[in-house]
Amino acid sequence: MKINNLEEIAKKYRREMFEKFLLTKTGHPGSIFSMMEIAVSLYHGEFVRLKENKKEFKDKVLISKGHATSTLYPILRDFGIISKKEWDSWGVKKSKLRIFGNTSIPGINITSGSLGHCIGAGAGMAISYKKNNQDNKVYVVISEGELYEGSTWEALLLAKHRNLNNLTIIIDVNSLIILGNTSDCLNLDPIKKKMEGLDIKTLEVDGHNINQLVDALKNTDESNEISCIIAKTVKGKGSSIMENKKNWHYWSPMTDEEINKTRLELK
Amino acid sequence: MKLQRDIFIKEIIKKMEKDKNIFFLSADFGAAALDELRERFPENFIHCGISEQAMLDVASGLALEKNKVFVYAMAPFLSLRAIEQAKCGAGLMNLPICMISVGIGLGYADAGPTHYANEDFSCFRSVVGSSIYTPADNESTKLIAKEMLEKPKFSYVRLDREHLKDLEPKINQKDYKNGYQILGKIKKQKTAIISHGKILHNCIEAFKNDKNKYILINLFKAKPFPKNLAKDVKKINNFLVVDEQSPSGSLSSCVFEGFSESGFFPKIISSSLPEEYIFDNGGREYLLNKYGLSKKDLLKRAKKFK
Repeated sequence: MKINNLEEIAKKYRREMFEKFLLTKTGHPGSIFSMMEIAVSLYHGEFVRLKENKKEFKDKVLISKGHATSTLYPILRDFGIISKKEWDSWGVKKSKLRIFGNTSIPGINITSGSLGHCIGAGAGMAISYKKNNQDNKVYVVISEGELYEGSTWEALLLAKHRNLNNLTIIIDVNSLIILGNTSDCLNLDPIKKKMEGLDIKTLEVDGHNINQLVDALKNTDESNEISCIIAKTVKGKGSSIMENKKNWHYWSPMTDEEINKTRLELK
Repeated sequence: MKLQRDIFIKEIIKKMEKDKNIFFLSADFGAAALDELRERFPENFIHCGISEQAMLDVASGLALEKNKVFVYAMAPFLSLRAIEQAKCGAGLMNLPICMISVGIGLGYADAGPTHYANEDFSCFRSVVGSSIYTPADNESTKLIAKEMLEKPKFSYVRLDREHLKDLEPKINQKDYKNGYQILGKIKKQKTAIISHGKILHNCIEAFKNDKNKYILINLFKAKPFPKNLAKDVKKINNFLVVDEQSPSGSLSSCVFEGFSESGFFPKIISSSLPEEYIFDNGGREYLLNKYGLSKKDLLKRAKKFK
């Protein structure tokens, strides 16, 4: 695994996703760009392992922030899980791929979109693996906005109580929700203290720094307790038009000039 | 006197002896049989805390890993509190999760309206892909448990808090396959009383002395609506549908829609609880009597056809 390569891969995926946004005129670029390095580190950093048949992954990734599940599509394409034909069809003709992922899409392990479900579902998977002495791992990526959902905290209590060290929770903290900054709307900080208050081992990293992400994932993989990674990110990372703008939660129409500028910035 | 919940859980225990991929999840809700299950199969039992929502999400994760999953809680909380989790998990992903919901209707009298499940039937009927069972006795409860263990599916099983008497005659395999049991002989001039669960027993009590005028139908499987029912009762024109639920979306709506699908349009009258939250004390029978489901009220409603 070469870190430089992973950085380049993340850039390439941002470019590819941007072209898909232009084609489909829909999606959640802010949220997808904020978690790109997280997804790339998980898969290309080889934390998520392929089964021997190379046709599916042994470990599970649940994108609880379902509006950003499509971050995984170019990755799954490159691993041969989603066909190139399916990827090429997306936005052009009939395709299984869509903004919110679901289990009919190869490599997507859960149907998500409604927030606050996947820590519980991930805990269920992790319990099943442990009971059957399987060494599969589960990674759940949530948005910080999901910390507003009560079911998130219910599930965290259970996961901690059962010491699910095969479950890693990654919180994408880009500090924005639909109506503005979380600190203004309804403050969530200090998130780290809250997680540690549940006695959950919590690491904090720059969510766009592959080195830090990879180190944190190594640490959680080797841990004998349930772990959480708080990834501090920038919503819309990579595009000056989108970065830290709440209205770029959703796709917004762009002028030709803005499109050209974004293409240049994403190079 | 065995409770429905113990009958159901006993069947799960029997199956757990051979099948290690069964999980039983509870949101801090107990039963005598559950004590045995927890002791004998601790690895297959998950106490989810008083957290119905997370319990359903955990169930989804377990079911995605091909386990047979039963979730268990008090009816008002398992249903309305966690309905979105049921939709997004068992519903959207078509997962074989069986929800065992105890204390339907006014089962938790005198706890008050927070503990009454008088809206759960309509709520779960509206969740796409759900199957709904409301057994009126231990025999059908046992058969439902066996079915969920043999052929797991997204199901919402509504059990009573109280012991319910056995039905005479007992439900047979054909009845079970049909999803309903007809008590009495079908004749054109008769009025049919359709009900399920505990309130069916009140109907039996109300109409038992007039077998020439009435037949009773134990509709223990309301969803999917039994295909053969309309055909079996097509001679009858008058139906009184009795349910311990609030009026909107109670069993009568289900019967009307089920019959309509078959092109059958008889007269249907509904007897249910009122469109209000009930704060009175006095016990379940007192409340049923007070709120339109007494023997006298049911007979009066049935006479409206004349």
